[in-house]
Amino acid sequence: MSREMALQAYRHLLRSTRIAFQGDINTLSAARFEARRQFDSNRSISSGSEDAVGKIAQAQEIAKFLRENVVQGEKTDAEAENYKLRIHEHTERGNNDDIKTAGKGNTLAGVKCCQS
Amino acid sequence: MFRNAILRSARAASRAAPRFQTPIARPAARSSLFQSKQIIPAASFQSVRCYSAPAGLSKDEVEGRILDLLKNFDKVSDASKLSASSHFSNDLGLDSLDTVEVVMAIEEEFSIEIPDKEADAIHSIDKAVSYILSQPDAH
Repeated sequence: MSREMALQAYRHLLRSTRIAFQGDINTLSAARFEARRQFDSNRSISSGSEDAVGKIAQAQEIAKFLRENVVQGEKTDAEAENYKLRIHEHTERGNNDDIKTAGKGNTLAGVKCCQS
Repeated sequence: MFRNAILRSARAASRAAPRFQTPIARPAARSSLFQSKQIIPAASFQSVRCYSAPAGLSKDEVEGRILDLLKNFDKVSDASKLSASSHFSNDLGLDSLDTVEVVMAIEEEFSIEIPDKEADAIHSIDKAVSYILSQPDAH
């Protein structure tokens, strides 16, 4: 059961790196290498254990974070400190109503953006 | 019904080939307003067919691309065992995480997204080939 879950988490993670680091081969391969390293280092965890479930949940959260809360920026010219951001369809976006709920301990219509 | 079919193909063609949008868009727009005898210009461009036919990928092509992809995958232990029927873990010595990476690479190669359930079931090259062939979006 949790073997499939781990594979699914790994797949989501790879997919998220593709979305987050599109066209940036260095970062993309570094992120994938790191993902692989982490999964390899936890290879011995017995499936179904609490530890395994926790690690899988962590991987899923990282995948979600990479997809929704990371954007790429490119300097528009060498001198100026201006960056062009690539905001894509998965990027988490708030709306003006969020300002009213800001600072009340939750974001985005009462849904916490990350449970860490 | 005939007119609908022409309109649909006109829309598909104009989407597939934006370069030709101006000449194509005109007959399509006209045929939606006028009656069937004025459809002739739309019918004449239909013979151009600048969009691809539904059966876009041949089995050999899909197989070749997947084999090429695996040839370049450095974790394949024995490249001589690569064949159209190779099993990822039994023949090629890949573990489950490698398999996920291969399936992900296949997704990128054919620019599709394979849902988790189907992706979990792909364990061999021929399964991957048959899945890609069953996807009309793959290219």
